[in-house]
Amino acid sequence: MQISSGGATHVGMVRTNNEDCFRIVQPLQLFVLADGMGGEAHGEIASALAVETVVKHCMEGQENPSAPLLGEAAPALTPKTRRILSAAHLANQKIFKSAQEHPEQQGMGATLTVAWINGAQLSIAHVGDSRVYLLRNGMLQQLTSDHSLVAEQVRRGILTATEAEQSNLQSVLLRALGTQPEVEVDVEQVEMFPRDTLLLCSDGLTRMVTEPEIAGTLQAEPDPQRAAERLVEHANESGGVDNVSVIVVSFKPESKGWFSWLRRGARQSVSGNGSAGGH
Amino acid sequence: MAKLSLMFDAKLVKEVPIGARPVRIGRSPDNDLVVDNLAVSNDHARVYFESGRLVVEDRGSLNGTFVNDLRIERATLHDGDSIWIGKHHIKVDATGDAPLPYGSPRKQSAPLINETMVLDTKVRRDMLQQAAAMGERTQFAAGRLQVPTIVVLAGKTDAKEYVLTNKLTTIGKSPMATIKLRGWFKPQMAAQINQRDDGYYVGPGDKTPLLNGVAIPGPTRLKDGDLLEVCGVRLNFIVRE
Repeated sequence: MQISSGGATHVGMVRTNNEDCFRIVQPLQLFVLADGMGGEAHGEIASALAVETVVKHCMEGQENPSAPLLGEAAPALTPKTRRILSAAHLANQKIFKSAQEHPEQQGMGATLTVAWINGAQLSIAHVGDSRVYLLRNGMLQQLTSDHSLVAEQVRRGILTATEAEQSNLQSVLLRALGTQPEVEVDVEQVEMFPRDTLLLCSDGLTRMVTEPEIAGTLQAEPDPQRAAERLVEHANESGGVDNVSVIVVSFKPESKGWFSWLRRGARQSVSGNGSAGGH
Repeated sequence: MAKLSLMFDAKLVKEVPIGARPVRIGRSPDNDLVVDNLAVSNDHARVYFESGRLVVEDRGSLNGTFVNDLRIERATLHDGDSIWIGKHHIKVDATGDAPLPYGSPRKQSAPLINETMVLDTKVRRDMLQQAAAMGERTQFAAGRLQVPTIVVLAGKTDAKEYVLTNKLTTIGKSPMATIKLRGWFKPQMAAQINQRDDGYYVGPGDKTPLLNGVAIPGPTRLKDGDLLEVCGVRLNFIVRE
């Protein structure tokens, strides 16, 4: 599969500093996004530290697959999933330690969402309320669970999804990096198919733009960089009350080989759009 | 101001206001609210404000503390709730503001809601416990573990039963699919099931699945016992406890 990606971030229309941080490591096909919190500039420190730690840990793992791993991993996890799980634990420790050593950073923390692609295999590690979405066959599906109070209440059947969207407690997180010495990290493994689109975003997008609007934008804009920029614009047009960060990754069929050529032709005639036509 | 009214047989025994200090309830005379009954422990329960919420906490009493028929260790109280201790009950009047904690300005007691915050473990436990208590009140089984399962009724698949453990379950011929379909001309990814906060949703893949005999118009929430048909394979969605 051919993988192309793009990312964008914006401070938004209300805040004065951007506490979001994201990184695309194209050669590794590694995508990292973090949303910081904490007074003054400390949210920025936390999110940058999270992203930097993850990227570094994954690069080390790439060079030396036997580099030490943190945290317990289920046996079914692939090496890349184990690596990003370990990276999330390490980032948690680093932020927590930094906050302990610098009293003015007390209470800083960050969400973390990592996607690492290995061929058709997608590995996700996740803490907090940033999200990973998969757009497949026009259907937008969230691949992460929000670690927020309202999401937990929906899972327990106390709130409906609609009530949760209107709640004024949406900013209350149950998990984040750097607030406790240990953190529970969610991991997911998903197989990707050609023509899939992956979206990583901070809550600045999902609070402002509805899921159908997100799906529509991703479908209308096949170029991942422009799609990311359009989504950020959408969030700002809708009020932009928070920092917004977006990474878009698009998966396209391999252009070589008679079989995929044949399949692509068939798909194009069926779907009637040109988005499968390579990039 | 919020207050507690100790009642016995619909008769008012005593009334105490709830201030910044916890109201101590028990049999021994040094309590703020003395309940003179052998079924009541010396130090039975406490009621106090915490982050603007009124909380009742059982102090490890022998016979327990009940809020509206539900035995609790800790629970958030609402206006009109009844706390039952032995044969007495205490009516909760939560009208009026929470008192200010000593020496802290009001501004700090109301966190900026727009600012992201993380609940520390204690507050989190409290809020979740409250959530669980609310869940039980509204007849939802909060404590029971539910296991969503797909049972194959007819058709060629690689197993007869699948427990849905991932956020995304794919149904198709692809070797990576969770529910693998066998046979010629089966699509790589025929349909998919997405776990959301409020349940499991089935959505189309290269095919549009039939749900209870009807083609789904888009992502559709699965209910316990639903019949799913995709590429001639019939599946049954069951939530096991």
